[in-house]
Amino acid sequence: MKLKTTMIAAAAAIALSLPGLAAAKEITTIGVSIPAPTHGWAQGMNWHAKQAKKRLELAYPGLKIILELASDPSDQANDLEDMVSVHKIDGLVILPFESEPLTDPVLRVKKTGAFITVVDRGLSQPGIEDIYVAGNNPELGTISANYIKGRLNNKGDIVVLRGIPTTIDDERVAAFLEGIKGTNIKVLDMKHANWNRDDGFEVMQDFLARFPKIDAVWAQDDDIAIGVMEAVKQAKREKDMFIVGGAGMKGIIKRVMDGDPLIPVDVLYPPAMIATAMDVTVARFMSNGPVSGRYILGSPLITKENAKSYYFPDSPF
Amino acid sequence: MTELVRSMTTAMRFDFDFKTYGPFLALLALIILGTLVNPAFVSEANMTNMLTRSAFIGIIAVGATFVITAGGIDLSVGSMAAFIAGIMIIIMNTLLGTLGVGWLTILTGMALSVVIGFAAGMINGLVTTRGKIEAFIVTLGTMGIYRSLVTYFADGGTLSLDFSIREIYRPIYYDAVLGIPYPVLAFALVAVAGYVVLNKTRFGRHCFAIGSNEHVAKYSAIHVNRVKTLTYVLQGICVSIATIIYVPRLGSASASTGVLWELEAIAAVIIGGTVLKGGYGRIWGTVVGAIMLTMIGNILNLTDAISNYLNGTVQGAIIIVAVLLQRGNWRRKK
Amino acid sequence: MDGNRQDQNKTILRVKGINKAFGSIQVLFGIDFDVRPGEVHALLGENGAGKSTLVKILSGYLQPTSGTIDVAGRSIELTDSSVGEDQGIVLIHQEFNLAEQLTVEENIFLGREAFRSCFLDKRLMQARSRELLQELQCDIDPDTRVQDLSVSDKQMVEIAKAISRDARVLIMDEPTAVLTTKEVKVLFRLINELKRTGVGIVYISHKLDEIEAIADRVTILRDGHHITTDRTDNLKPDDMARLMVGRGLNDMFPERPPLGGDADVVLKVDNLSVPGHVMDASLELHKGEVLGFAGLIGAGRTALMEAIVGLRERSGGKIFRHGQEACIRSLGDASDLRMAYLTKDRKGCGLLMQMQLRPNLTLLALDQYGRYLIDEERESKALSKAIEEFDIRVGDVSATAGTLSGGNQQKLLLAKIMQIDPEVIIIDEPTRGIDVGTKHQIYMFINELTRQGKSLILISSEMQEIIGLCDRVVVMRSGFVTGTLSGDEIEEHEIMRYATGLKGVERDDRISA
Repeated sequence: MKLKTTMIAAAAAIALSLPGLAAAKEITTIGVSIPAPTHGWAQGMNWHAKQAKKRLELAYPGLKIILELASDPSDQANDLEDMVSVHKIDGLVILPFESEPLTDPVLRVKKTGAFITVVDRGLSQPGIEDIYVAGNNPELGTISANYIKGRLNNKGDIVVLRGIPTTIDDERVAAFLEGIKGTNIKVLDMKHANWNRDDGFEVMQDFLARFPKIDAVWAQDDDIAIGVMEAVKQAKREKDMFIVGGAGMKGIIKRVMDGDPLIPVDVLYPPAMIATAMDVTVARFMSNGPVSGRYILGSPLITKENAKSYYFPDSPF
Repeated sequence: MTELVRSMTTAMRFDFDFKTYGPFLALLALIILGTLVNPAFVSEANMTNMLTRSAFIGIIAVGATFVITAGGIDLSVGSMAAFIAGIMIIIMNTLLGTLGVGWLTILTGMALSVVIGFAAGMINGLVTTRGKIEAFIVTLGTMGIYRSLVTYFADGGTLSLDFSIREIYRPIYYDAVLGIPYPVLAFALVAVAGYVVLNKTRFGRHCFAIGSNEHVAKYSAIHVNRVKTLTYVLQGICVSIATIIYVPRLGSASASTGVLWELEAIAAVIIGGTVLKGGYGRIWGTVVGAIMLTMIGNILNLTDAISNYLNGTVQGAIIIVAVLLQRGNWRRKK
Repeated sequence: MDGNRQDQNKTILRVKGINKAFGSIQVLFGIDFDVRPGEVHALLGENGAGKSTLVKILSGYLQPTSGTIDVAGRSIELTDSSVGEDQGIVLIHQEFNLAEQLTVEENIFLGREAFRSCFLDKRLMQARSRELLQELQCDIDPDTRVQDLSVSDKQMVEIAKAISRDARVLIMDEPTAVLTTKEVKVLFRLINELKRTGVGIVYISHKLDEIEAIADRVTILRDGHHITTDRTDNLKPDDMARLMVGRGLNDMFPERPPLGGDADVVLKVDNLSVPGHVMDASLELHKGEVLGFAGLIGAGRTALMEAIVGLRERSGGKIFRHGQEACIRSLGDASDLRMAYLTKDRKGCGLLMQMQLRPNLTLLALDQYGRYLIDEERESKALSKAIEEFDIRVGDVSATAGTLSGGNQQKLLLAKIMQIDPEVIIIDEPTRGIDVGTKHQIYMFINELTRQGKSLILISSEMQEIIGLCDRVVVMRSGFVTGTLSGDEIEEHEIMRYATGLKGVERDDRISA
């Protein structure tokens, strides 16, 4: 009995070590798991992931990247299982759909010895990931608040269009409200526009019908901003207000670059963060230096002056 | 006893006809509610915005009234709209080079949009009737197909109409004749045409007959398959008309365009009093239903009295009450 | 009225001057009716005579427009069936009101379960059920699920349920319609048992011999009027039939002059086959003729006719109209050739039950009512004309087809197919499920049509109809035409011989070959 167990353990150890050895010599497999696009920012993120995959595989012949799009958290958990069992990944880059339900599946991947990089949404248990790459949602809110405060001289009426009701949206809005605290800036109302152009248009139309005086709009997201912009133009009130979006959509950056008075600035929340995460993960395998830690990408204010360096005309976003 | 019975019968004669006027009553209640919530509700600008907005769902719902009256269902309309919008934008952007920046390009785009709508409806209809597959499954399938095709064409992103052409096309959504915005005008025309076709022509009568009982229709020398297919074609054309006025609004189409429009259209049809299992339909009810749906969203945007998270609850409750109003038997049960 | 006081003491249930109207249609006119303890009082009448309405009023399911109801001498208002039940008046429906998935015991106590504290007192209810069933000399186990019972046992359970509610008046609506002869005997024994215990029974049936056997008194209704109430001994079945219908049974079928032998052939079918249903059927139909199609159910008669008018796929054969080969691929083609088919499935294939009469009438011939837009005024005129011509009895022309009685639906359906002004009319079981009066009317229509020079094919499973109406009769069996009879050959036994395969055997040999 004892002998048998030992033998099985030995066999398993050999079996486990073999692909590891082979991979080290020939091919490194990295799994990338991200949500399928449901809104503009996610589309941009998807595009950057695909671009990075192409670029990295070209640069490192021994590298294989498995890119999977998931349509919901349980779908994403299934993808992780397949990556381990079918593709035997050495590293995982994941943008979790939701933190809570995906913590355990990621932990299981970790236990196979894979290197874990988590992007944007942190897991609910610390210490699982080797690398954490994220944008800074509170900073996005704060930067937007600071700009609006400055433009309005701490005084005025604004409306806020929120995203899809999620933690991300809550963090941004909380930081924004904190940022304008103590000023005479009054938030007339906040409504969800779900990071969607059509909803942005309709919510803004109704805000315009409701409030005769609006000095600024915090749209939080560039898709919403596009809808808002059309509604404002339709009401012929472009002169009365300005719009602050967020993310860094090329169309919006172009307007900032061209000095559109309606959209004077944008706040970056780079969809390219997935590419950054993939870069550092690959670097772990392809270079000799130690790679680990937290990479928090800032949310800089994009203005007419610096817009050029954030403009990617080829991106679909 | 006799006296009592007689007085009861007279009282009943004055009973309100909820079945017929229920949707109007619900609409009236909503208007009153809206005005109470915020006087800005009845402002001309708000009313115009709302009617214009309701035009997309409204036009699609007119088509859906035919499909549902004839006993079918079309779940593909939302993604079909996204698909047609996407193709239309690609076509117009491509034609810019040859036809130049002008109405010719736009009109070609519009014409092709109708052709695609026609073809898409034809496919739904033929697969349903010739393939003898449930309409629910067929259109569920095409719904996924159109949705993924538009995602593919947009490369996961957003398809945007070229800026120069958009400037010319823009008025189709934003301008008005005699104070009536073009989309509202289109909605009205489609509704009137739909009313005439459904209620005054042989085709409309055949839709009713097929929806009530397909066998009876067959035994009455009606070409059941032909009529059913035609309802899907009409639906496709309505979707293309809705798309034609949708595209100039924001000049873009993406995977998130028209999401859940199919359910909104079906809801508008049912709120209006059309029977979901077929056999009875009314266009004016559908028009009221579409306006109501838009109005609910509008009113919720005009107040901060209700938590944003509860929008769905209010919407759902109003829809159910609106349908209850006309379905419930409000007369004393005998 | 001298025995009035005495009568009142003797009756359990008495209604007087009952009028009932649905909207503007009056269906009962001043009906008097009473039930005495320990008697069986039969209620007789054609379909639509008002029996069901009266019974529903007696049991509280409907309220009369006017009139009085006395229970055991006390005037009472039966506002609801539960009030009726409280008074001991229980209606046993034609379709049983039993919960199929529950047991016999659960059904008997449904809605009045016995409790001990807050739990069901199963033991008590079981014992009581067993007792009840024993009383009825019926050996059903109270634990059996109702769905596992035979039809007659279900009826027993219904009766047990009624008795458990201390029924004083038991109303049975056609109780024997679903029973076998043996089961009927059991029921009759039970009825006699109930009579002995003083229960009054209202018994509705069409079967005159049963009524003769079981009823003490008979009340006959016709068209909502009370015709007579008399002791059963004083009435013979023939009298009952005459009083029900208002005319003798033998002048049902109109007199028809014999058909001239040289009439044109308007429709000829050669060797037509329908896969799985009909093999090589041929027929000839002459102008002004009624050609009967007899046979057992499933002989392929309907399939053959549906194939002729383009409603079914056919695998071979030719059809000629006036000697010219006709190409019929759909019912529309047949209509163009002025051929019409009246389906036997009135509800499933004939009329749109939830739609009004007007669209139903014109559905087949809609292209006659306007080229682009439907001329609704012309439709309405056509409806008025049809209502008059076919004597469709309808209170409100905006009513839906489903609210009409079976007979009136049939007349509407006939009017519908006549809209295309057909020369060849195929009618399939035209009198199925309709009352005697309407039957007679339909026979008169058929006769009138042939007089106008139209030709008819009549499929019927009622031998009397075939014999009384047809000039020639084609008999089918198992998909084959086994014989064609004319003149004196048209006779019940002869038809049955062909229909059952005792004659025309050569055909049968060919099937096996």
